[in-house]
Amino acid sequence: MLILWIMVIVLVVVLLALVVLLKGVLGAARSITPTVMAIDGVAAAGSKDLDAVIALVTTQNYISQVVAGLANYGGSLDVALPDA
Amino acid sequence: MELVIVIILLLITLIVLTLAVFLIATIAELVKINRGLGGVLNGVAEIATKTAPVNGVLDAINGTLVAGRDLLEGLALKKAGPDAAGLVESCFPGEGQRFLQRIGRSGTVVPIGEDYPRGAAILNSLLGVEPAPAPPVAATQAAAPAPAPAAAGSSSGRISLRKRGFPSGGAPMGGGGMSMRPRTRAQDEPAPPPDGAPMGGGRISVKGSRPWE
Repeated sequence: MLILWIMVIVLVVVLLALVVLLKGVLGAARSITPTVMAIDGVAAAGSKDLDAVIALVTTQNYISQVVAGLANYGGSLDVALPDA
Repeated sequence: MELVIVIILLLITLIVLTLAVFLIATIAELVKINRGLGGVLNGVAEIATKTAPVNGVLDAINGTLVAGRDLLEGLALKKAGPDAAGLVESCFPGEGQRFLQRIGRSGTVVPIGEDYPRGAAILNSLLGVEPAPAPPVAATQAAAPAPAPAAAGSSSGRISLRKRGFPSGGAPMGGGGMSMRPRTRAQDEPAPPPDGAPMGGGRISVKGSRPWE
């Protein structure tokens, strides 16, 4: 009979410990969710910001044209000016 | 049934229920996290896709700009000779030494300054303008109309590229110096040299109007 009462006490302690531990796990899991959602929003915004990257191709074309004009200008100067 | 056994059974039931409730709640949160990470993964994948061509494009732009820089530096070296590093240094402070390193030379870089008399002399000779001492500042400002060729002896040797357009026919144009920077002589040019100075006439400025400064 005494053993049964000891078992009752052990079960009560186990129940309390279980509640505390599982509550901690649940709290940790719930704290991750808003962080993940925030990262999701930042990633989406960053992805949207990168839509302008395609303009780099236009910039590349412009720079190529500018350098080509520069080369023509330099060639003219090379012809027009005497060497040192 | 004895009371203690009932209590034990009740406690075991409570433990199982507690486990079930908390584990189900935890699973629900993990499902939410999984969904959120899926969204993050999509965003990161989009970022990776959109930034994939950036390296190639930037490398191409950089290569084009380096080619332009090499072209201009080669031209400066060919035309200005030993003054090239000084010209580069004057236009872009700190670049003269690197310019020397790029062309495989060493030495001290002396900035030319804002005016390059040798270049002005070459241009004057090409345009048929004889170098002559610059007129006084007051006379320069008052000389709005171009002087007659007969008066070229006192005002020739200076060519303005900013107010009167490009010179034509080698006619001397009195007034402004050969400057690529919009400015007035009275504001920031030094006083004209005395009569008979060899390069008092033409001046060329190596500092252009650079908006990033």
